[in-house]
Amino acid sequence: MPILAKWYDFRDLGNAIGALQDQILDWGAPDWVPYVVSGIIGVVGILLWLLVSQIIFIWIERRVIGLMHNRIGPNRVGPMGLLQGVADAIKLLLKEAITPRATDTILFWAAPIAIFIPAMVVFAVIPFGEGMVLSDLDVGVLFFVAIGSINTIAVFAAGWSSNNKFALIGAMRQIAMLISYELVQVFAILGVVIMVGSMRMVDFVEWQSGNDVWMFAIQPLALVAFIIAGLVEVNRSPADISEAESELIAGFHTEYSGIKFGFFYAAEYFATFALCGVIVTLFMGGWTLWGLEEWVPGFLIFLTKLYAVFFIFIWARGTLPRLRIDQLMAFSWKFLLELMFVNILVVGLETLIWREGGYDAATVLPIFAAINWVLAIGLAIFWARMLGHGTASSAGKRATLTQELGAIYYEGAGTPGA
Amino acid sequence: MEDTGTVVAFWALAIITIGSAFMVAAVRNLIHAVVFLVLSFLGVAGLYITLSADFVGVVQILIYSGAIAILVIFAIVLTPQAGRDNAETSMRLPAVVLSGLVATMLGYASIDTNWSISDRPGFEETASAIGVALLDKYILPFEIAAALMLVAMLGAIIIVRDEGTEGAAED
Amino acid sequence: MTLKSEPYVINVGPQHPSTHGVFRLRLTMDGEKIIDAEMIIGYLHRSMEKLAEERTYTQNIPFTDRTDYLAAMTGNLAYVMAVEKMMEIDVPERADWLRTIMAELQRFASHCMAVGTFANDCGTWQTPVMHMIRDREKILDLFEMACGARLTTNYMRIGGVSRDIPPEFLPALAVLLKDLPKRVKEYEDLLLNNEIIIARSRGIAKLTPEEAIAYSLSGPMLRGSGVAWDLRKADPYAAYDKVEFDIAVGTNGDAYDRFAVRMAEMLQSLRILEQCADMITEGPIHARMSTSTVQPVGDPVAPLVIRPPEGEAYARIESPRGELGFYIVSDGGIAPYRFHIRAPSFINLTPLKKMTVGATIADAVVVLGSVDIVVGEVDR
Repeated sequence: MPILAKWYDFRDLGNAIGALQDQILDWGAPDWVPYVVSGIIGVVGILLWLLVSQIIFIWIERRVIGLMHNRIGPNRVGPMGLLQGVADAIKLLLKEAITPRATDTILFWAAPIAIFIPAMVVFAVIPFGEGMVLSDLDVGVLFFVAIGSINTIAVFAAGWSSNNKFALIGAMRQIAMLISYELVQVFAILGVVIMVGSMRMVDFVEWQSGNDVWMFAIQPLALVAFIIAGLVEVNRSPADISEAESELIAGFHTEYSGIKFGFFYAAEYFATFALCGVIVTLFMGGWTLWGLEEWVPGFLIFLTKLYAVFFIFIWARGTLPRLRIDQLMAFSWKFLLELMFVNILVVGLETLIWREGGYDAATVLPIFAAINWVLAIGLAIFWARMLGHGTASSAGKRATLTQELGAIYYEGAGTPGA
Repeated sequence: MEDTGTVVAFWALAIITIGSAFMVAAVRNLIHAVVFLVLSFLGVAGLYITLSADFVGVVQILIYSGAIAILVIFAIVLTPQAGRDNAETSMRLPAVVLSGLVATMLGYASIDTNWSISDRPGFEETASAIGVALLDKYILPFEIAAALMLVAMLGAIIIVRDEGTEGAAED
Repeated sequence: MTLKSEPYVINVGPQHPSTHGVFRLRLTMDGEKIIDAEMIIGYLHRSMEKLAEERTYTQNIPFTDRTDYLAAMTGNLAYVMAVEKMMEIDVPERADWLRTIMAELQRFASHCMAVGTFANDCGTWQTPVMHMIRDREKILDLFEMACGARLTTNYMRIGGVSRDIPPEFLPALAVLLKDLPKRVKEYEDLLLNNEIIIARSRGIAKLTPEEAIAYSLSGPMLRGSGVAWDLRKADPYAAYDKVEFDIAVGTNGDAYDRFAVRMAEMLQSLRILEQCADMITEGPIHARMSTSTVQPVGDPVAPLVIRPPEGEAYARIESPRGELGFYIVSDGGIAPYRFHIRAPSFINLTPLKKMTVGATIADAVVVLGSVDIVVGEVDR
């Protein structure tokens, strides 16, 4: 967007920061001052956005789930209940932060803080708009995965230090799940990275806007795997197995109360926002929207997409039951991982053909998209059949109706008991 | 190492790394030790990043802070006395002497070495440089390492499977 | 190489989201696998059976609301049937129809909660149970119309029902009967064919018909194991011999089958209700009792109090949870000499240890959900 690019060009807040940097240098400040100032502005800006978004999304999530439940949802605090998030936060602040006896006090206090750090640091690499990325690492997407893996330690510390068996089970489940799904996540990203040929977050967006196509149209399988792996990583229903309310009460944060619980709650939201941000960047064109970014601020387009993806997560939470831990792990190792291998192989071949042949993107991408969609749907159905799903014996079955009193209709020959 | 930011970052990270590495040995609670170990790994990752080795830094976080730490946690959880304080041990003095000797040797070696500074500019994109090196010049070691990992994984699976069938037979 | 592992004990309940009240399950676990389960009940014990010995027969009816508080109507019905049996009262036909309508509405409402909380135990985030509570509310509205109360109805009386239904009741029922089959269809699509619910509940907690009979299970627990046994057919009471319906049975005896049986019974309840709405007759709603049994003998000015003759009676009905029986012994006084409830929830819990040992903690919750206990009835 080279037309204006002055500080008052709010289509990209990076312009304003850039102008500020120049201004500070003009005043004769040393080199590092504009760097630090712009960094601080960026961090504070992202944090403020996160807080506001979180408070609004607590309301949206509760209202949407309320509507799905045939309820009204919170509508008392502020106009239409919009201040519900604020009220929740105040409530959590005022509640007593209980530290049970026989906990590992240091870790018990450190865990909520520790889980907060990775959840916020990830935003450093997420491009909100064209100049609006705090730190444009050339390994940005890998950074996202790496930071996500630190979460595990904080969750484990929380579960272990609580001295509660439910919390410990939850923590161990979380670790097992993350090991299984980190692999899927990395492979899902790898497919995209191969095609784009970079790990820099901005490059993904530029590749997609340059080729006028969203990545999820070309690699649907990768998107689905990434969303599922992401659900597991941020621990939201239907993959909220490590806090599984109906089984483990609240899993690893069973013993946490007051603002310490609030930290876990907020960290979950932040991590989900980050995940949505990465999905939008990698698969949905980031801040671009086929030319609309020339007229509308890119960060607004980005945020709109981000919230739309977040809505999918709310939707899934209101709809789906929870899997058992072994089923979730089996789904990763037996299903998603294999599909990801195939995806990488196919995408790798396609990229090779494309680069070696020197074809035009406009001719070759629709063909790739068609191949990949057919492959994704066909492979998913085929593999599910191979694993015994979607067959007659695995389908839902109504109860048999009979008039014959005292007859026995038992067919199950399996071992009795559990 | 000219500009102030890098110097400050270096010393801060160095203190974090060495301090938490010391704490790993010093604390009596194994879980605390793991947490300090993770902190130490993160410090090392930070040092890599100050050296413009983004890729290595991020991989350090991913592999060491993420995966290796979890491996250590699993090892500790399988340790019978994980949660309790570790008692005094007679190996304390030998351990101190040995680590003192190692530290002295490393210190002497690093002072004695004539550190030459490369005048070649750093890589702009370390990730692609590493990728090209791995799949071009060092393809054979890379493939051998991959094969080794595969063998190790298969071995692990076979060990676990045997145990599983035995367990089922006992049941 | 085997790793030595140490079992540990966790307490599921009495304060736990999935124990459906204050039920406690003491699980000895090896990792996530249950190696021993101990049920600890009594947190909601209100000594109903003893209290009932101090109350008159009519005063005991509200107690029966509060044993199985999700199915007050059937609790009322079983109790008054026991007293009627002892006093040899013939209930008028309209009262029988009303009782059948109420019992079937109650079955639907109770199964709504059972299926909804079962889905909750499978990990849905409250959505199915909320939708089912919506339908249950409409039934409770009908109860309110008939007797003024929604949950603890206290509707049945010894010899009939407490009052006749208002004229707007049957039209409201007709509207409901048009609406509910669609809803049940929706639940079948969403839950019965839900891949995750199938994965979570199929093959879990299997009981063979022999085991189910040996544990003296009843209701959907028994029918889920494939035994076609329903007291509404085996020992018809109220107006059940005049209506047509099918017994729903499972073929696998697992948690999924119990859930499927409940779903099918919801549809059968609607079928019965439709017939009842067509066939209900006009007439008295209360039997006339001879003064010798309602008035203290030899004291014509004392208030009318039911005094069954000396003897004992056991009456049983098919409550939503199984065979609900009341065993009453009378010594000829104004209060029962002995009052015992055969609570289906309690007896259906007995195979819980067998069903949970060897499963994981996630399964244990599903198993408990498939048993569908009401702790008020377990502890009484």
